[in-house]
Amino acid sequence: MKEYVAGVDIGNATTETALGELLDGKLLRCVSGIADTTGIKGTRDNIQGIIRSLKNASEKMNIDPEQIHLIRINEATPVIGDFAMETITETIITESTLIGHNPDTPGGIGIGIGRTIAFQDLLEAEEGQKVIVVVPDTVDFEMAARGINEAVQSGILVEGAILKNDDGVLVNNRLEKKIPILDEVEMIGKVPIGMECAVEVASPGGCIDLLSNPYGIATVFGLSPAETKQIVHIAKALIGNRSAVVIKTPAGEVKERKIPAGEILIQGKNRLYKAAVDRGAQEIMTIVSRVDEIQDVTGTKGTNVGGMLEKVRMEMANLTEQDYKTVFIKDIMAVDTIVPREVLGNLAREITMEKAVGIAAMVKTHKLHMKRLAEQLAEILHTRIEIGGVEGSMAVMGALTTPGTEKPLLVLDIGAGSTDACLMDEKGKTKPIHLAGAGNMVTMLISAELGLEDFKLAEDIKKYPLAKVESLYHIRYEDGSVEFFNEPLDSKLFARNIIVKPEGWKPVNSRKSMEKIRQVRKEAKEKVLIQNILRALRKVSLTGNINEFEHVVLVGGSSLDFELGNMVTDALSHYGIVSGKANVRSTEGPRNAVATGLLFAYLEERKHG
Amino acid sequence: MTEAINQENAILEVKEWKEALPGQSADEVVIALSPAFGTQLKKSIIEIDLGTILKELCAGIEEEGMKPRFIKVFNSTDLAIIASQGSRLSGSGICVGMQSRGTTVIHQRDLVPLDNLELFPQAPLYDEKIYRKIGRNAAKYAKGENPEPVEILNDYMVPSKYLIKSTLMHFKEGEMMDKSKKAMDMEVVF
Repeated sequence: MKEYVAGVDIGNATTETALGELLDGKLLRCVSGIADTTGIKGTRDNIQGIIRSLKNASEKMNIDPEQIHLIRINEATPVIGDFAMETITETIITESTLIGHNPDTPGGIGIGIGRTIAFQDLLEAEEGQKVIVVVPDTVDFEMAARGINEAVQSGILVEGAILKNDDGVLVNNRLEKKIPILDEVEMIGKVPIGMECAVEVASPGGCIDLLSNPYGIATVFGLSPAETKQIVHIAKALIGNRSAVVIKTPAGEVKERKIPAGEILIQGKNRLYKAAVDRGAQEIMTIVSRVDEIQDVTGTKGTNVGGMLEKVRMEMANLTEQDYKTVFIKDIMAVDTIVPREVLGNLAREITMEKAVGIAAMVKTHKLHMKRLAEQLAEILHTRIEIGGVEGSMAVMGALTTPGTEKPLLVLDIGAGSTDACLMDEKGKTKPIHLAGAGNMVTMLISAELGLEDFKLAEDIKKYPLAKVESLYHIRYEDGSVEFFNEPLDSKLFARNIIVKPEGWKPVNSRKSMEKIRQVRKEAKEKVLIQNILRALRKVSLTGNINEFEHVVLVGGSSLDFELGNMVTDALSHYGIVSGKANVRSTEGPRNAVATGLLFAYLEERKHG
Repeated sequence: MTEAINQENAILEVKEWKEALPGQSADEVVIALSPAFGTQLKKSIIEIDLGTILKELCAGIEEEGMKPRFIKVFNSTDLAIIASQGSRLSGSGICVGMQSRGTTVIHQRDLVPLDNLELFPQAPLYDEKIYRKIGRNAAKYAKGENPEPVEILNDYMVPSKYLIKSTLMHFKEGEMMDKSKKAMDMEVVF
């Protein structure tokens, strides 16, 4: 008699089914089903999704869902992750020593050095005196240009100008003698008058050269070696700008200050390890790798890290109805990043990229309530429900149906909150591990580095390639290729960077260039996902040597990422490892691995009695 | 009627120069004006000097390194038609369309007339600063950059409050309309 057996995998995002038709314990054929997961994984709410997924599969098999004899659901990995970010440096300007901002359109070109003077006092300057004129927003561009022209005619050497309005090009176009002009200086009132000052504007597409070089600044102001040491931060803050102003004031300086960001306390098997967050991610990760088996992690109370780690603990406790005190953080991952922040004491809304550390944490608990779920499901469907093996082992079973794979095999499942790996050795023994840091952390990094406020937008940037709408009839993709259209595109997309989603295009409301967004996206994936894969390999390996593996297979929704597969293949090929996306049952791609594993594990069990 | 539309003390001269032909230079942004602009009407609906508005538009365009070019459309008073004609004459394909009351649109050559890149329908809400930004954004589109759209102001009282004045101004535009007359390049002094 024919038998129907289904393996059902309840994931965070989708519920997948592998439905097999069996005759005397032999598989005749197998189909897949998929539906969105309803509710939080491991709760009663999942049943709707399971039923939909089963229906989806049984339709393909042309049977009634009630004909299914046995449903096997997975024992979900009881893992949840969360993340937070901590800025660890801040740049402070005391008194107004520099205006290092980057207006879109400064005026003129070159370098001007002189003493700052208010616009209304300009004509009172002495003949032959070198001045830099400071123009408030009450003076429009025509008046400003006329005033400067008059001053130049009467012999005053106007060497440069600082403007509040966005008038740099306008003023410059009306000047008889061209000077470098920096505009859009928000707090023009705070620019000190009567001080030595240098203005530099580079040609379009170029960067300033003199003021971003400490010795350049020293040359301009005649600084001593000791003073030159102090202005390194000024020079550093100006690197890459098209225009800048540096003003020498008696007490002014620019400092990069470290913000005390607390400590992470890692309880190992035998001793307690401490890692200072402000020392950066690399140091934290070195300490984490030294800990033999993490028992729990806490952070200094009253800091972001401390709060974040407690939040993860709380959430997990709520979800599993466990006591808060019995939830332990089993892994953390730290990543260095840079975030745009406004400089303290700034005059023109200057932004510097401050160092920050992103931290992800992962919690393990007792089993989720799969057993209860199974009982409820059995009541509704009148079918036998079994809890199959552990998710990791099932994923390996499923992944082994990929053509070209063999044992030993390492399966990687990159989820939203955690990265799960499972190794199966030649004898079929499995070893699962779970690591903090996964898809959501990548999204966080993208969102932080690009200064986006919209988390969904960052998520889309992570998932899909970019393009730029160059005209209403053609777009250029991030790889440089062009696509033309017969019908004009939506006018709201004109000149915008867009995310090429399968269901439609979405504009990116950011002034960042397509190249920059792409670079941030790739780096975020590299920093979190690739690093985590290497970490996972080191952890499961007996010798701590990555080279011992031969096959690494990616499964799960994240491996559908359009570039991750190739990034992994590329990164691991350096270690002589064959790696890539799974192709479950030669047809399913990286999806359905766990569900297939549940079904195949059942077949194995039948075979061996 | 003269009370309703105060047109005194404005310094703006708009003169017809020659028939407008499609522009050849990629760095021009066309400013397309409605029939009565600067001739019958010299102030916007909230009595900003139209010369001041043009000065700000031009300043925005010039600050971005582009050049303004003025044309006037006679065969329609409809802003969509004015702007779409302007964009087809523009060397860069970008046009700022303007009615005398101050209603403004940024249009691109490939768009159908009623579509737009950015539309500023409630003229009574716009001050000089907004017109500067409109000019800047138009120039940025012409350069192929990706400008942040100018903030949209909205006041649901505006249409009813200004209905009469806006209708009167529209009549003036209508009086100057000439269905058979082609768009002209204009000389503008402000």
